[in-house]
Amino acid sequence: MTTLMAALVVGAILFGIGLYGALSQTNLVMIMMGVELMLGAAMVNLVAFWRFLHPEIYAGQMFVLIVMTVMALEMAVGFAIATGRFRAKGSVEMEEAGDLRG
Amino acid sequence: MSASEIFQPFFVGIFGLAAIWFGVVVFRTSSMVRSALALLFSMTAIGAMFLAMEAEFLGVLQIMMMATEMAIMAIFMVMYMMDPGGMEGMDMTHQKYASIFAGILATLGILAVVFLVEWGPVAEAAHPEEQTRMLGIEIMERSMLIFETAGVTILTAMIAATAIAIERRKS
Amino acid sequence: MTAAISILALLAGAYLVAVLEGWVSMGRMSITGPLASGAAMLGRESFVPKRRDRVFFEVAPPLLLVSALLAAAVLPLSPGLIVADLATGALFVNAALAYVMVALLMAGWAPNGAYAMVGGFRFLGQLVAYSMLIVMPITAVAMRAESLVTTEVVESQAALPNAIYQPIGFVLFLLAGMAVCFLPPFDLPTAPGELAGGVEAEYTGWRLAVFRLARLVLVVTVAAAVSVFYLGGWLGPVFPPWAWSAAKTLAVAALMLLAGRHVPRLRETHVLEWGWKVGIPLALLNIFVVGVMILVVG
Repeated sequence: MTTLMAALVVGAILFGIGLYGALSQTNLVMIMMGVELMLGAAMVNLVAFWRFLHPEIYAGQMFVLIVMTVMALEMAVGFAIATGRFRAKGSVEMEEAGDLRG
Repeated sequence: MSASEIFQPFFVGIFGLAAIWFGVVVFRTSSMVRSALALLFSMTAIGAMFLAMEAEFLGVLQIMMMATEMAIMAIFMVMYMMDPGGMEGMDMTHQKYASIFAGILATLGILAVVFLVEWGPVAEAAHPEEQTRMLGIEIMERSMLIFETAGVTILTAMIAATAIAIERRKS
Repeated sequence: MTAAISILALLAGAYLVAVLEGWVSMGRMSITGPLASGAAMLGRESFVPKRRDRVFFEVAPPLLLVSALLAAAVLPLSPGLIVADLATGALFVNAALAYVMVALLMAGWAPNGAYAMVGGFRFLGQLVAYSMLIVMPITAVAMRAESLVTTEVVESQAALPNAIYQPIGFVLFLLAGMAVCFLPPFDLPTAPGELAGGVEAEYTGWRLAVFRLARLVLVVTVAAAVSVFYLGGWLGPVFPPWAWSAAKTLAVAALMLLAGRHVPRLRETHVLEWGWKVGIPLALLNIFVVGVMILVVG
């Protein structure tokens, strides 16, 4: 059981770092990096659960594939918003993005 | 106790420490390219953890996908940051203490769950080749609709991203 | 033992490719030429730029070498001679080659110089163009072999090599392979005569020697990948398996070096345009045609 614990602890710490990054950074691209780190932590947990609890159910691996897709999509849409924002305002600092409130 | 049972926690731990270390570097360095590549190496270490946990296909896929993803991240950071080289030492954080508190709280919460739950016995994983075959069958049979949905979602996101990012035409 | 033999074979191949490249670009064959220029590079002082990114500057050339070596590790030279027979070998080649771009991006960013950075970012644009053209032809190859294991990919070509079975995939993979090892006309990151060496511009001495060696090993690796995926690897009559592997790999390397010599260098916008508007539809067509052929012919 030690390996499962080790993997879960790594996942927990990575999630904490990612959460800190996503909350503390002011730049959109850096916030996205925090989110990526949190998704990476989720993937570590998913693979650990698949391997050590139910290695015969391949829907577990499937779930990891979907999370990888989500990471790519998050990047694509996030960078599109960054590009649009940079074109309009000349910066992607989220402190200055109060006008998005509507 | 076989050799793999001894080495598996060791390698998972080593690559896990590497992932955490690079994850910390992401938010510690002020050079944006370093930050993006630190995230890449954190993700690569996660892929190596997958390999150590005998999920070979996922590990290799993770290592492959992240290289491209994070390099593209690096170029966007250089494009959109005031000071991508980190030469001036700008501070780009806000609500620092609240964020640290939230991060530590989340970590402790998850750790509590990890150590309080009784996890039950470890099962044996299939051989890598068998795994790849079974994953393919899973995708083509039971999870086919989910996989198709993922494909359609990618298409939607591509169109949405292009629509947002494209320059407005002067009418 | 296997690893030692493979690395020696790879280095020998790299030397032959260096001789060939000298012959192709200079017009005269010199057997000892690479040895002399290598020794000269090692003898020179290795200058370092003043405000560089220390870590990246040191890591980039070895990373390029390591990624080429890792990709070579899953390619079989003969039935038993393979360093790591992974269950996902064909995918692993691709994963290792992705780090070529990471190394070049690092090398471009680290020296804090304009030419190097332009070269590094150009290669990133080039990657967006060629990366799908590596994955998709490999998919069609794996479909025919019904496996991602490289040795099984070779054995699936006993009746007919993939170069004839799926010619579109072969041509696309060869072109994408030339783009991976930034050979002309895809030599945007180094761009001799235009960028003053591009990503190599700030490297001198032994660091440059490592860089050049890594690039030669990369050419051999990609040529070996083409030979394994499309030309039937070690399969062939009369001669021993390793001889066939070596001959096919060198022939592909020579073809890659010669092919782009008299073509003007492609701009990265054109590489992107043709990669996405022509290359990817053709690769999809290739996958479709191969699927139909597997169902009909078997």
